[in-house]
Amino acid sequence: METLLNVGQGFGVALMPINLLYCFIGVFIGTLVGVLPGIGPISAMSLLLPITLSGTPESGIIMMAGIYYGSMYGGSTTSILVNIPGEAASVVTCIDGHQMAKQGRAGPALGISALGSFIAGTFALIALMLVAPSLASVAIAFGPAEYFSLMVLGLVVLTFLTQGSMAKALLMACIGIVLGLIGLDSINAMPRLTFGRLELIDGIGLVPVVMGLFGVAEVLINTEKLIKRDIINAKITHLLPNKADWKASAGPIGRGTILGFFLGILPGGGSVISSFASYALEKRLSKTPERFGNGAIEGVAGPESANNAAAGGAFIPLMTLGIPPNVVMALLLGAFIVHGVQPGPLMITQNPGLFWGIVASMYIGNVMLLVLNLPLIGMWVQLLKLPYNILFPLIILFTIIGVYCSSNNVFDVYVMIAFGVIGYLMRKIGYEPAPLVLAFVLGPMLENNLRKSLILSQGDLWTFVERPISAVCLAIAVVLLIGPLLPSFRKKRELVALEEGA
Amino acid sequence: MSDQDNVKLRVNNSELWGGLIGLALGAFVVWSGLKLKLGTINDPGSGYVLFYTGLLMCLFSVTIIFAAVTEGGPTFGARWKDARWTKPLLVIASLIAFSLALDKLGFLLSTIPLMLLLLRLVDPVRWSLAVPIALLAPLGVWWVLKRVLLIQLPSGIFEIG
Repeated sequence: METLLNVGQGFGVALMPINLLYCFIGVFIGTLVGVLPGIGPISAMSLLLPITLSGTPESGIIMMAGIYYGSMYGGSTTSILVNIPGEAASVVTCIDGHQMAKQGRAGPALGISALGSFIAGTFALIALMLVAPSLASVAIAFGPAEYFSLMVLGLVVLTFLTQGSMAKALLMACIGIVLGLIGLDSINAMPRLTFGRLELIDGIGLVPVVMGLFGVAEVLINTEKLIKRDIINAKITHLLPNKADWKASAGPIGRGTILGFFLGILPGGGSVISSFASYALEKRLSKTPERFGNGAIEGVAGPESANNAAAGGAFIPLMTLGIPPNVVMALLLGAFIVHGVQPGPLMITQNPGLFWGIVASMYIGNVMLLVLNLPLIGMWVQLLKLPYNILFPLIILFTIIGVYCSSNNVFDVYVMIAFGVIGYLMRKIGYEPAPLVLAFVLGPMLENNLRKSLILSQGDLWTFVERPISAVCLAIAVVLLIGPLLPSFRKKRELVALEEGA
Repeated sequence: MSDQDNVKLRVNNSELWGGLIGLALGAFVVWSGLKLKLGTINDPGSGYVLFYTGLLMCLFSVTIIFAAVTEGGPTFGARWKDARWTKPLLVIASLIAFSLALDKLGFLLSTIPLMLLLLRLVDPVRWSLAVPIALLAPLGVWWVLKRVLLIQLPSGIFEIG
């Protein structure tokens, strides 16, 4: 009953005209960046972070969240019609989605993708409504030792799942922590690594770092190659899947939704991993696995549902513990902090309007996305024809503007360009930026909680082991760190490792 | 990857250089941590986390270097094989020139040439399209920010914009 009252309150907030407008802008931009290859939700969210400052926290967060789950919908359109993933979570959709389009079944592929996403998104929201308050009430008992260990676990899981050498991913995470500590020490206000520059006293901004590593670096990588687009030009008809399509897709949608939701909650997990895991699961369960890769609708329905469910699930650790499980949620944490709201166990009780408003807006956003992605599909197809040589200078222009507006400081534009070049070189020599960004956000919190726990325990390191939650987190982290030394474990890691931040 | 693309103890081993840069950064962070004072385990100082993070960076870098020497790694040439490496270089040069000009010339006078360079240098867009885009996009953005959102953009020594 209480949940229903809270949901009612949430819809009261979400249905306010200004919040409906922000929600629409968010899901529209999300679909747009999902459709356009070369710009993802991370770049778009960091670009629009300064714009959210002008509105209320509810409006700002509603828009940012809309961009995230909107991009999950939009990404599938590009994968199916052009065979280029609009964003990283849609990589697997290319495999069977584009084959279906080539066989003249682009309509059902797009339809099942949007409808599966809607079903998964709805399930994830209901689960979020039920799980988040219970988890928040448990999390109130968390002390600095638990928070420290949870953050360590989040970073280790992300490095474990990052493609390539784990040592490289761990090195990136360490560099992220160091970058996050630049500026005044939060405990004794001592300047650290500022090199006498006043601009560094407050630390490096999240927006220039993310825009550089993901926006500018992505453009530099894309200019290296000629992007050939094999766009399906035939008119797209029969968007609603037929009975046989539904029969084949029901299981994958159900399994993808549950799998995606739980993988989304895990620290370091996310939409990319869940879509790959769902594809692998469906192929393994199928009686005719040879159809996969040749236009099997299950290969579209499962992963698309999984990535949307994961997008919903990822809000749980952020909203209940204040810990972002992935880079996108780290940006959302930045948006909360910019608005003076600290996500965590107390947020649901102290800011119920905000929490339930965001949850309700996500449901409304899912309905908006269904309308945007099915009847308006023709508009997105036209957009896909925009050549990259015109698109990328515009992306550069908007990144410059976004970074400048976030602080009104030219120094941040320099920082962005520097991180853009560093990010490009990093990717060329096989260093993924995702662990760096997550560690950059978690670094100051990690340090703060470590120092607090050591002060409270009077230097007793056993405090991290004596507390059960902390001990379990650290034990899992140790297993994941030591595991890859064993050949069989290493092989399994290589199978699941992905370019999360791509 | 051919044998020529994978080398062990050679100057052009990209993995080796990645590890060496990480090691240098780690050593710098350790030194910075020490300089900032470590404090004690009961009362950790400002340099405590930096120092131990630096040590971890050194450890991971040594692991990368060890793997680069024993297993070998791709050469820089192999990393950029089949890539149009001059294109990102041109974009980087344009961005550096832009960053040097932004404060002095202001937003409009530095962004319009940047846009034109990007539109013409990488995969050339025809002049009749490049010039209007290079002019209209920055002008449009400038108008929205300055007139609608009331955000002051750098106007430079000529105070244009």
